[in-house]
Amino acid sequence: MEAVVMAEEDLDRFVRSASEGFSVFGPKKKDVTHVFGEIKSGREMDLKYRTTILPPKKIFHPPRETLFYFSRKKGFSIDQVRKESRKVLLLGVHACDLNAILRLDKFFTEEFRDALYLDRRKSSAIVALNCTEIGENCFCHSMGTGPESSAGFDLSMTDLGDRYLAEIGTDLGRRLLHPLELPRADRRDFEEKDSRLANAKKKFKKFVDKEGLANAAAESFDHPIWRELAEIDLSCGSCSLVCPTCYCYDVLDQIDLSLSNGERLRELDSCQLLEYASVAMGGNFRGERKDRMRQWMLCKLRYTGKEHGFSGCVGCGRCIGACTVHIDITQVAVRIKGG
Amino acid sequence: MVDLYAPRPVEIREIEQETEDTRTFRLSFRDPEERSAFRFSPGQFVMLSVLGVGEAAFSLCSDPGDEDISTTIRKVGRVTDAIFALKEGDVIGVRGPYGVGWPMDEVKESHVLLVAGGIGLPPLRPVITQIAANREDYGGLEILYGARTPGDQVFTYEYESWTKIPDCRLLLTVDTVPKGVRWQHKVGVVTTLFDDMKTDASNSLVMTCGPEIMMRFVVRGLMARGFTIDRIYVSMERRMKCGVGKCGHCQMGGTFVCKDGPVFSYRSIEGLPDKIV
Repeated sequence: MEAVVMAEEDLDRFVRSASEGFSVFGPKKKDVTHVFGEIKSGREMDLKYRTTILPPKKIFHPPRETLFYFSRKKGFSIDQVRKESRKVLLLGVHACDLNAILRLDKFFTEEFRDALYLDRRKSSAIVALNCTEIGENCFCHSMGTGPESSAGFDLSMTDLGDRYLAEIGTDLGRRLLHPLELPRADRRDFEEKDSRLANAKKKFKKFVDKEGLANAAAESFDHPIWRELAEIDLSCGSCSLVCPTCYCYDVLDQIDLSLSNGERLRELDSCQLLEYASVAMGGNFRGERKDRMRQWMLCKLRYTGKEHGFSGCVGCGRCIGACTVHIDITQVAVRIKGG
Repeated sequence: MVDLYAPRPVEIREIEQETEDTRTFRLSFRDPEERSAFRFSPGQFVMLSVLGVGEAAFSLCSDPGDEDISTTIRKVGRVTDAIFALKEGDVIGVRGPYGVGWPMDEVKESHVLLVAGGIGLPPLRPVITQIAANREDYGGLEILYGARTPGDQVFTYEYESWTKIPDCRLLLTVDTVPKGVRWQHKVGVVTTLFDDMKTDASNSLVMTCGPEIMMRFVVRGLMARGFTIDRIYVSMERRMKCGVGKCGHCQMGGTFVCKDGPVFSYRSIEGLPDKIV
């Protein structure tokens, strides 16, 4: 793959140059952890991050967004949301999160196209960052979704210690680099990348054995683990909040005090919340915590992507870190496989 | 391009009071082009919107060939309360049609057994009208309908015309008959009509719609009479926020009621969790 070498100071030049055509989002330090936020210079960014509180999903599938505005004054009138002119460049996205975005791309395209999501994605650029350091809850390697990105990026960077290797994935990626006039990478740079990634792969502390997992998940509806987890589970929905592939949303209308103008919104929802599967007249098809726990876990391990042969889990480990009662999806996978 | 989530305006042309808590709304597109572009098959549903209140899913009960579209609604919650506050001439929002309907092609040349409970009859009404209009394409038609009381039956004004459809039987039952109400039909849950029906398992196809607990007993009762679950179709109902397979709410396991259903062969959902049927 065609590639160049970037020094630390080139990063800042890159961000400033890319900012002319894009709103650049990258990992920023926040207290003891990191978040994806808008950056204007390379100095605001910290590429040494392990994970972020929320995945970059929030940029393409925002926690809350307007579907349309309406007016009841003239009986029935709807205004489409004006298309966002903002183009986003997502910089420093790890392989797990990039794979999650690629899964959401498929989900929001199949059968019905969700233009709100897809328009944002279409106008975006992605600079991936391969992981040379591994977080304590990461298990992407065993899921086949990291630590290296193999597709879906315009550029892919690897930290080589004193410099970055930047591999070009698309023409857009090439154009983004062009103004910087960077030196081409040579064999030693690629060897350094390979050695650092090989080293990173040895650092994982968590694993999921994917072999036969989807089938075991399909047979696990009555597994005792769901009741066991329900005993400790708080149904707080934190796992959905931090999951890069959770797409579910609720829809609600908001109307002004005059009851004439308003908007219809969607906001992220979670199958862990009691109301999620409630129906009219007091019914609820997942009224028990064990049913909600099973839904979330099997959505990740079985349902999502089953037609495409991939898993709904990308091994980012955020749900493990966010869970107040230490429920660990890698341990759930072991149990349903009969371990 | 019309946005996926933007409802289109339709005018309420006529409201029929079916029962104490149930009305049929006949809806007319303002734009004739939108009407001609709106093609649906029996069993499909629409999302109806009251701006400022919200949106919910409702099956269509009109014939696909009718000029207007109709839906029968029971007043059970926030959105339906708001719909019931509307009057003829008011405008409401509609999106759709969505979902997979009844297997109208597969059922051709077969005997058709419809088993409905309460407000489960409306989604089957277009099946009846389609069979009546294309009578020679289908075998015998038998309609089993159960309601809580005689006053809870919908479409009572059409029963006479249904019984005049050649080779068609309509069997009625109610759970209870209030004092002073005349009732010449059966008393008991809808499965008690199985003893009186003529349709048997040979060359027949079943479509059932009603409360899930009812459909559970319908499916089991028919299996006991030799019907195969590949030829029993059920119409499922879940709360839907989008109708197009994105919001996630209507899932049974990983199956979306909105786009994979709402009509399923019982075989295809038999093993799924999160259901009663």
